[in-house]
Amino acid sequence: MEEKELSPEESLDLIQDMIGRARRRFTDNSIFFLLWGWVVMLGSLTHYFLGNFTDYEMPYIGWVLTVPAFIFSMVYGARKGRQQTTRLYTDRVYGWLWVMLGVVMFTMVFYGENLNWQIVPLTMLMAAVGTVVSGAMMKFRPLQIGGACFLILGIVSFQLDESTQMLLMAVAVLIGYLIPGYMMKTKAKEHAVQSA
Amino acid sequence: MQYKALDPLLHSQLRLAVMSLLISMESADFVYIREQTGSTAGNLSVQIEKLSTAGYISVEKTFVGKKPKTTCKITNKGVGAFESYVKNLQQYLKP
Repeated sequence: MEEKELSPEESLDLIQDMIGRARRRFTDNSIFFLLWGWVVMLGSLTHYFLGNFTDYEMPYIGWVLTVPAFIFSMVYGARKGRQQTTRLYTDRVYGWLWVMLGVVMFTMVFYGENLNWQIVPLTMLMAAVGTVVSGAMMKFRPLQIGGACFLILGIVSFQLDESTQMLLMAVAVLIGYLIPGYMMKTKAKEHAVQSA
Repeated sequence: MQYKALDPLLHSQLRLAVMSLLISMESADFVYIREQTGSTAGNLSVQIEKLSTAGYISVEKTFVGKKPKTTCKITNKGVGAFESYVKNLQQYLKP
């Protein structure tokens, strides 16, 4: 870009072009949706199979994976924040939204007895909030559809026994996290090629 | 009708491009701005320095690992100047 005298029309075109470039920036957060999608899928299916087909005393053992996943998400998210070349106003909101939802979800597990162990439906409702809002902030409809799925399955699962809730949870993360996560990854790759 | 003069600090191609990018985001680093504006590093440094001296943007220099990183943010003064510039620009564009 060279320095030259601008006409008012050229100034306006330049402003529109630059604002358009900033708005087209696409944040790839797929790693978090894929990580949590697979961790929750593994936790819920392990819980279902161990609870129904074995005498193992701790069918919930698979959920232990959520602890390292939470630590990884925090460390990776903070590092990514430091390294990213741009920060949109929504990025900060996005980060805090998921950190707080994560803390609330872990708190619910800790006080599960007080909640009549309805942790799965409540977790799905929390995930619905995070996913729908993230989808709106990123203007990414698959996440919003996934969030709606979390909401519907979360409400339905209040009526079901714990074992069936686990199967619903697996379906919900498939539609709510994994499918949008892979679509987001593909979109980010296409976007990177177009921007290059 | 007397037209209001356009802010000379903003009425320059590269400086206006930098401000237009920064108005839409919380912060952007030097490399991103250089890529999006297609400018040379030397010219961009000079223009960023001018905007920073005027108080239109703030510049923060940090290190990510061993790599230096320059992050630019638009200030409240910069937002006001940009809005005034666009408002004044409109009077030239009205038929």
